[in-house]
Amino acid sequence: MSQNPMSQNNNTSNLLWGATALGALGVAGAYFAAGPERFWANWILWFVLLFTLGLGSLFIVALEHLVSAKWSVPVRRIPERLATLLIPAIPVGLIALAAIPVLYPGARPEAAHHPILAGKAFWLSLPFFSVRTLIAFALVLLGLGVLVGGSLKQDASKDPAFNVRARKFAPAFMAIFALVITLVAFDWISGLTPEWYSDIFGVYVFAGAFLSGLAATALAVLYLQDQGRLEGVRGDHLYNLGGFLFAFTVFWSYIGFAQYMLMWYANLPDEVIYYKVRLAGAWRAITISLALLHFVLPFFALVTRDSKKDPRRLRRVALLMLGAHVLDIYWLIFPVLGAKPHFSWPELSFALFFLGGILLWVRGAMQKGEDMPVGDPFLREGLEFRL
Amino acid sequence: MSETSYAVLGTFETPDALMQAIPKVRASKLGTVEAYTPYAIHGIEEALGLRRSPLGGMVLVMGVLGALTAFGFQYWISAIDYPIITGGKAPDSWEAFIPIMFEVTVLFATFTAGLGMLFLLNKLPFFGHPVLSSKSIKSITRDRYVLALEAESEAFDSAAAAAALQAAGASQVEILPAPDRSPFLTSDYILRAAGGIFTACLGAGLVMYFAIKLFPVVAPMKYMQDQPRLNAQKASSFFKDGHGMQRPVAGTVARGHLPTATGTQEEAATLANPLPRTREVFAAGRQAYKNRCEVCHGSVGDGVGSLTAAYGGKPANLQAQQFRDYPDGKIYWAIVNGKNAMPSHAADLSESQRWAVVHYVRALQRAQNAKDEDLKVAIP
Repeated sequence: MSQNPMSQNNNTSNLLWGATALGALGVAGAYFAAGPERFWANWILWFVLLFTLGLGSLFIVALEHLVSAKWSVPVRRIPERLATLLIPAIPVGLIALAAIPVLYPGARPEAAHHPILAGKAFWLSLPFFSVRTLIAFALVLLGLGVLVGGSLKQDASKDPAFNVRARKFAPAFMAIFALVITLVAFDWISGLTPEWYSDIFGVYVFAGAFLSGLAATALAVLYLQDQGRLEGVRGDHLYNLGGFLFAFTVFWSYIGFAQYMLMWYANLPDEVIYYKVRLAGAWRAITISLALLHFVLPFFALVTRDSKKDPRRLRRVALLMLGAHVLDIYWLIFPVLGAKPHFSWPELSFALFFLGGILLWVRGAMQKGEDMPVGDPFLREGLEFRL
Repeated sequence: MSETSYAVLGTFETPDALMQAIPKVRASKLGTVEAYTPYAIHGIEEALGLRRSPLGGMVLVMGVLGALTAFGFQYWISAIDYPIITGGKAPDSWEAFIPIMFEVTVLFATFTAGLGMLFLLNKLPFFGHPVLSSKSIKSITRDRYVLALEAESEAFDSAAAAAALQAAGASQVEILPAPDRSPFLTSDYILRAAGGIFTACLGAGLVMYFAIKLFPVVAPMKYMQDQPRLNAQKASSFFKDGHGMQRPVAGTVARGHLPTATGTQEEAATLANPLPRTREVFAAGRQAYKNRCEVCHGSVGDGVGSLTAAYGGKPANLQAQQFRDYPDGKIYWAIVNGKNAMPSHAADLSESQRWAVVHYVRALQRAQNAKDEDLKVAIP
């Protein structure tokens, strides 16, 4: 249990609940005041954020099992807890299915007469869309059950058989992950502009999801360290987290730019319109700040060796990365609403509601079970990890 | 004694003993302290007081320099020296520069990291470290941990260093003499000799190559791209003006090409169509007319083409009496030089295509104004 006085704990708790409730009011109001299109765009934004955050965290867990990483065993419980965000993401996603006839041109009846969409009509239709989403949710729950549930059970049983099972399951999960993240990218984000297509888009969304999972993990590790709950986790572990963040910042930028440059070069009307919208008017400023916040700033903040270990800098960069990920998804989704970026009380209410909800959920998850996988036979080796 | 020792080596049994000895030996301030261990020991860099490697900074500077170099070269070529618009992009489109900037940044950075480490920081090349000739080297590479107090000057006191190491807990102390440079059969000497021979061969080879290249008794190699010929857009010493590309000599006619009639419309009106009225010629004329003329003049030549409706222009109605009375040469002249809003089509249609179009226009006119005897011909 944490050592904080109960009163302070209650205060933050009340604050979070209050913010979430206030946000919920705003969310309900937004549907009537701002119109269904903007409401659903916000809803999809937060669904994608929630889902990619959870899926990215689960990917970290699976990746560590896949390569039998030892250094990460002491901090593995953090992404495991963050991955449980996939559980609330499922009802959010089921509600989001109601947005499909509103926002997704492929599911509207007039798509049957559209020269491009008619060919994709079956794939984009509401029934098949829903079936795919349900399959994705089921696969994700399977991964969550095996990797996270098994790890929690191992705390008590101390059974090393879990490591073997997780190691065997991890490659299968990679295939599941690739499928699900591609479905999220192509269905939920790219589906908003179905005439446009980009082969690399799934990888782009994967890079963002992995980064957000890493950033959230780093933040949670630093937070628990401040509370004195991660005894034995030291700069060497932080260094690896920082190194991952640094590497995948570059990866994200590489993919983002590769996608942009091919379309810029080829100049095909149906492809280039996607960037044309985002490079005109007020969206131009957002695009440029996305490049700065998602690449230039974190790159130079993390480029030196010591900065990857420095908790204060790592915390700032991780916060920045999460913010940049929100901006990234906003930049992907909101231009379909029109040439002018929407940012006003509906967006703020959605942010309050979902951020409050996510923080409440994560806080609850952080109280469950041990802070480290105490049943893992490699825990000691992980604690002794030095660069 | 002119001979001084290179270093004094103290052997320790455990890494802990080594780590405990390091501060004591460093405190004696007798010389540079260096540690030799069979594997990496955590925290030994801090204990030895090793400075942070300057390599990171060098790599960063060179990486930035690489990016700027790549940008500068590409900007110079594409925007200043030889600006060509390709793919509808402005000559200074920075997006196209990024991949090469990325690659050159990586190239500069990795070369700096690799070569800077080897030559600047590790001071290569040298062929053998003095410690390799010590007795302790066997144990260093197997199961013992060695601290060396390296001599910094001639005044190095080996005895005091040995005493300091023993006081710090060394189980054995070895005084390592400075490397002896006289005998020929040391590995050092052999390596140097081999290196010298290699360098000499390399040098001789280069000298030979350039000597033969600059004073060609026998040309060493002939590259196909170096043959004496004129290249497009290349300089040539053959011509007085130094250009490889020359204008055609005035008044000459290229083989297979009819001369383009220039001059006034009146002069052109006297020209006769050199092409026969064959099926092939009409087909070629029809094709050329469809490609270049039909958008304005319409499929039957009545001046109602698809562009007419779009832009509200008024192309000539070739069916009008005025144009039916035109001699062939005047139509030809209009194709070559343009007329009113119509631009010249000389660049798009070859000589024979132009005359084929004239035939085809005549055919269109006759088809729209057919006489009775024409109809008889058409009925099989």
